[in-house]
Amino acid sequence: MPAIQIKGLTKFYGTQRGIEDVHLSVERGEVFGFIGPNGAGKSTAIRTLLGLLKPDAGSAEIQGHDVATDGVSARAKVGYLPSEIAYYPEMSSRELLEYHASLYGVLHPERRMVELAEYFELDLDRPIDDLSYGNKKKCAIIQAVLHEPEVLILDEPTGGLDPLMQHRFFDMLEALNAKGTTVFFSSHVLSEIQRMCSRAAIIRDGKITAVEDIATLLAKQMKKVRLVVHDGAAIVLPEGAQNHHASGVKHSFDYVGSTSALVSWLDKQALLDVTLSEPDLESIFMNYYQR
Amino acid sequence: MNKALYLKELKRNRKNALIWGSIVLGFTLMILSIYPSFAEMGEQMALLMSKMPQEMARAFGIDDETWSSIIGFYATYYGIYITLLMGIFTSSTGATILGKEERDGTAEFLLTRPISRASIVDSKYAALLTLLLLIYVIQTLCAVGGILAFGTAVDWDVFTAMHVHGIVLVGFFTAISVLLASFVSPKVNFMGPVVGLIFGSYFLDAISKATDAVKFLGYISPYHYLQLQAQGGVLEVNWAASFGLLVIAVVALWVARARYLQRDITG
Repeated sequence: MPAIQIKGLTKFYGTQRGIEDVHLSVERGEVFGFIGPNGAGKSTAIRTLLGLLKPDAGSAEIQGHDVATDGVSARAKVGYLPSEIAYYPEMSSRELLEYHASLYGVLHPERRMVELAEYFELDLDRPIDDLSYGNKKKCAIIQAVLHEPEVLILDEPTGGLDPLMQHRFFDMLEALNAKGTTVFFSSHVLSEIQRMCSRAAIIRDGKITAVEDIATLLAKQMKKVRLVVHDGAAIVLPEGAQNHHASGVKHSFDYVGSTSALVSWLDKQALLDVTLSEPDLESIFMNYYQR
Repeated sequence: MNKALYLKELKRNRKNALIWGSIVLGFTLMILSIYPSFAEMGEQMALLMSKMPQEMARAFGIDDETWSSIIGFYATYYGIYITLLMGIFTSSTGATILGKEERDGTAEFLLTRPISRASIVDSKYAALLTLLLLIYVIQTLCAVGGILAFGTAVDWDVFTAMHVHGIVLVGFFTAISVLLASFVSPKVNFMGPVVGLIFGSYFLDAISKATDAVKFLGYISPYHYLQLQAQGGVLEVNWAASFGLLVIAVVALWVARARYLQRDITG
């Protein structure tokens, strides 16, 4: 049984598309990436999964519990880190976390709460209203993991965290994942997905355009090609070239296609220099996004 | 119902409750404490008031009873000020009790916890009812104490009827405010419509008493059915109207609850 199973989930805001016919399956113990540009439907998918939005069609399960008919059981398994932090300003972090723990039926959260606060260097007794955005984010991270959930749903989790805290956050995620926690990681920071996830789904215009292993995504036949040719030499781009830029004798383009065909094409050019770079996830994402 | 959420809701509203409660209690004590001075000037006051346009006197329930007994005096102010103040507090609290989390952005925190929406609504309704009963009971006890301290020969039947009608009216307006708020965006400040609803209802009844020409206006005001002042020294609990308004209040709360269970939470 998958940790998260989404079948045909559809949500429209009136006539405006939110998500449409989204299918996803996240295995237990997996770190699964969810990539898409702003407005693609990432947050709508997560908010529907968590029961904040009522779907127009389709269904979703978390740890085998249907989110529509058994939402309380489903959410009991989840730790959720939202992208936008809004907490009760009159509370301190300690009060908020105790309140959070009480809603999950955790009777004695103090020890773990203090451990996590020390790890993230958060002063638990300051009013939330007085905290910087980064510190509010730390409080949000602690509430997401305090009750030791089986599934973590993270929506743009590192925004506002400094590099040191991001590093600690990723270390903590790796430790939790090693103990069996499933992580659903939504982000547009592709290097984070690349670092953390074993698989990722790409969402565009409310629809899933691809679900791939990260290794497969990285191995897609896209390359960045940079050439320097003899002065006056004209080039005719190979099939599969895109985003061509030329400046005097220097040319650059992205190439999607067979490597041997590219090498054959290069062999026929009047080259002074050539550089082929490995694709980064950003390029791969843009490749999917532009399809 | 969720106990942690219920307690949180009470704590969240304690400052407002303290402020409004203090105003209501202060007003109650002030009214009762000035009664002896007015009673001493009973004849002069009656003479003064006889110069007042009779329509206005009828509208606001000012008659001989107002100056001749502490209950009559208290009743005049109970209707105009105390039920209005209590109603504005509980109705404005009720109007925002479900939408406030969305307006403040905390709905996402609350609704992603393992609590059903029904439990959230029930906990918030329970907190609202507690606040309503708290302010009502304390005001009533304060009024009893003040009347015993400053008055003599008190007709407790009139007092009881007045206070039963008072809490039903306050409960009714609170429920209607919860219902109306469920039809508008949580970002809308609902204080104005709440005040308008309660004052409007009160003045419709007052105007309808002033002259027979506009008597029909009173029929659309709940104050018409649950009078707060004795007529000829008599006021009895109108059980049928009280029951009817409570039924409407329960239906209003149920409809607002059903709407909340089905809505998309965007804040």
